[in-house]
Amino acid sequence: MSDTTLLALFEDIDPAANAVEKLYEMGITDENINVISGVPIAHKMLGRPHPVTNVSRLALGGAIAGFIFGLFLNFGTPYMYFVPVGGQYITPVPPGLIITFEMTMLFALLATFLGVFLDSYFPNYRPMEYVAEVSDGKIAVFFRCPPGEDKKFTDAMDNLGALSVQPAEAQQL
Amino acid sequence: MASTAHPYSKPAKAHEGHHEEEQDMREFLMYDPKPRGEMNQMVMESMTTTSWKFWVVFGILCVLVATCFIYAWGYMIAEGLGVAGVMRPSYWGIFLVNTVFWIGISHAGTFISAILRVFKAEFRRPFTRAAELMTTFGLIQAGASIFMHLGRVWLFYWLLPVPNQRMLWPNFHSPLMWDLLAITTYVLGSTMYLFLPLIPDLAMARDRSTGWRKTFFKILALGWRGTEGEWRHLTTAMNFFAFAIIPVMFSVHTIVSWDFAMAMRPGWSSSVFGPYFVLGALHSGMGAVAIVLFIMRATMKHMDYFIRKEHFDGLGKLMLIVTFAYSYFFFNDYIVQWYGGDKWTDILLHWLEEGPMSWMFYQLILFNIVIPPLLLWNKKLRQTPWLLALIGLMINVGMYWERYLIIPVMLTINRMPFTWKLYEPRIELFLTIGTFSVFLLFYMAASRLIPLIPVWEVQEGQMTHSLRKVGKAEVPTVSEFE
Amino acid sequence: MKTDLNMMGAKGAIVEEAEGKWGMVIDQDICTGCQACVAACAMENNISFVGEEDAGYGRTQHWIRIERFWEGEYPEVKMTPNQPMLCQQCGQAPCEPVCPVFATPHSNAEQLNLQVYNRCVGTRYCANNCPYQVRSFNWRDYHIDRFHANKVDGKSVYSFHNQFNPDVTVRRRGVMEKCTFCIQRIHKAQDTAKSEGREVVDGEFTTACAQACPANAITFGRVDDHESLVSQLSHQKGGVKHLEELNTLPRVTYLKGG
Repeated sequence: MSDTTLLALFEDIDPAANAVEKLYEMGITDENINVISGVPIAHKMLGRPHPVTNVSRLALGGAIAGFIFGLFLNFGTPYMYFVPVGGQYITPVPPGLIITFEMTMLFALLATFLGVFLDSYFPNYRPMEYVAEVSDGKIAVFFRCPPGEDKKFTDAMDNLGALSVQPAEAQQL
Repeated sequence: MASTAHPYSKPAKAHEGHHEEEQDMREFLMYDPKPRGEMNQMVMESMTTTSWKFWVVFGILCVLVATCFIYAWGYMIAEGLGVAGVMRPSYWGIFLVNTVFWIGISHAGTFISAILRVFKAEFRRPFTRAAELMTTFGLIQAGASIFMHLGRVWLFYWLLPVPNQRMLWPNFHSPLMWDLLAITTYVLGSTMYLFLPLIPDLAMARDRSTGWRKTFFKILALGWRGTEGEWRHLTTAMNFFAFAIIPVMFSVHTIVSWDFAMAMRPGWSSSVFGPYFVLGALHSGMGAVAIVLFIMRATMKHMDYFIRKEHFDGLGKLMLIVTFAYSYFFFNDYIVQWYGGDKWTDILLHWLEEGPMSWMFYQLILFNIVIPPLLLWNKKLRQTPWLLALIGLMINVGMYWERYLIIPVMLTINRMPFTWKLYEPRIELFLTIGTFSVFLLFYMAASRLIPLIPVWEVQEGQMTHSLRKVGKAEVPTVSEFE
Repeated sequence: MKTDLNMMGAKGAIVEEAEGKWGMVIDQDICTGCQACVAACAMENNISFVGEEDAGYGRTQHWIRIERFWEGEYPEVKMTPNQPMLCQQCGQAPCEPVCPVFATPHSNAEQLNLQVYNRCVGTRYCANNCPYQVRSFNWRDYHIDRFHANKVDGKSVYSFHNQFNPDVTVRRRGVMEKCTFCIQRIHKAQDTAKSEGREVVDGEFTTACAQACPANAITFGRVDDHESLVSQLSHQKGGVKHLEELNTLPRVTYLKGG
């Protein structure tokens, strides 16, 4: 039997931040703590490390891909089937600027959107550890505690003003 | 000493007058917080409380969509565009008027949501979603109107840049191609931008509903829990979207204006058309937001908590600024063309001023330029929801006339006087009613299916706002969490 | 060093010098306005009969039209010379670049403005952008629409039952069309000449409108051949191009006041 996951529910940011600090003191490492909230809470307020996100990198990648695609559309496709129109050059630059701009933006936006999905593993309909009170503004702190020490941690959380401390169960959302 | 007091000063009364104008900060949503659970409950109730009046309107709209949109369009596809009023020289008619109009409506959503988010204008919080929904649904109508306009709509996919058996790629010289790419970018971008901040609210709705709603929200919420990582990815993406969608929004309406400005026609070939159209779009869009907010507040339960006088006030100020900006471009466009003295432009301007459609021209000036600033300067009037909605409606009528004048009426005048003929709309009128009905139907359905108030953003706002005592006054204080 | 304007996307640099291949001269002074060209064009090119109502509303599909104007106020009314108007086959056509699907490209071989019916999706941008307003749109399926058929002995007779040119496609609804300079005749003449191992001779063939004109007001031929009649006529004094200021390089020259 591995570690048990406990879930402590807090009313406000301050006790939750204290709880996180306490957990650090009691030897729980960062990767074994997870905080769920109904509003975005800056990591600084809870004294948690900065969560890493690939979204901006993916956006940049999308922008580059879109830029290349836009260039291909304007400066590549006309040569595949040569059709002269209106005395204009076959691949004029001014429309090319418009096409590359639009494609750059489109791909960057798509990549950003997909980035959220990829980074957060969406869509995910498997049972997850969750409490519905979170969407009421409560803050839930999950942590994995060493086996047999549940009582110690439960008491510690209770002392810090937790509304409830219980073993977290994966449930169908 | 009494003798030192100035005989004309009336300090007590002046103070009273001043007091009247001051608004209690507690009337502002951000300084009137409620527990999140209560707000969730209110939003859920606003979605589930449906009166019989809703279903009556909904039913009428369904009938209108079935007849004026689906049947009328099907009839037109089967018979050809001959059933519409388009002819030589007005090859473009109301279909493109509707396209420009709906794209204009769609602009306010992004403007309010993205620009106000970028500049951290806090009054935006409760109604960003209502505005963004307008963007998405408006763009759907704009797209439908373009497709109605096509002579052979069943071949629309020939416009798409995809490899095909004919080995033929679309013509990127064509402003319509730019338009297609820009509108596609905008539709996808604004829909994603609508969906991202919706996910946490869908999760909230999932946690507090049962039955088919539960399944619906469960699927849409994608398994959102609200972990630190999820929030971080979401806020990063939203930040990027808010910045990136602004240039896209400007480019879309500029390119729509280029469909006209790039053409070799008197009245159209104007270099100021780009910003003129963008401002026109914002003008009508702001008006539409005012109408939507008024209807939401009047018909949906608990909305008077979320949408308050301050929001109408803020919107009214925006409308005032946009009116001035629009007037500037309107004047700029017409005076430069008038002064140029080109023969055809001259005839065209006379046609607008004295022709059979001149009533539209004067109404446009009255509704879009003259009346709004006369009313919007006053705070009391700005804070009257029905009046703001009325001004919004007036501006939208004016803007519809503006597009009508630019497309079929200006098309009447070309360089071949032999072909001059005034356009008469036929089946277009039904199809116009149809697009409006589809828009309203979608919006009404959405008001039952998704939370129209971004609750988590409201709560976030309320957490960052507080009243601080400075001396004897309480002054609003905003802290930044990010 | 010579700057290649084409590389910089300068519009028109390619065709600025070119005077085109096929051209037409219309002498407005001898045009009687008899509309024979209009009828001949309709017969040759299978142009739909749109019926009275649509014609009155501005939906005639004629590829050539006779424009009549009056000058002055009543009773001092003076009629100006009739002005036959057809596609000017611009060297630098405004209608071409605006089509999103390349339905109206430029023919490098014949220096003509083509219309590819099969590619057209009916955005009608080309017609809007045509300063001469000579493009016509198929608003309905006039040729198979039973409301546009005549009842003869209880049977519906469609216009194409009476006359039909098999060399020219019939256009369905939702498609733009315009004068082609009778490209089917051009190709036929070229094919005949090729099979006989010679060049096409000036005056060997002509367009339907020129053929039908009783006053010989319309002359068609090679404008790049300086010996040809059309070339000599077009270089006459008094030869004008319509809306020349738009830099469309039209291939039709009008003679007026000669």
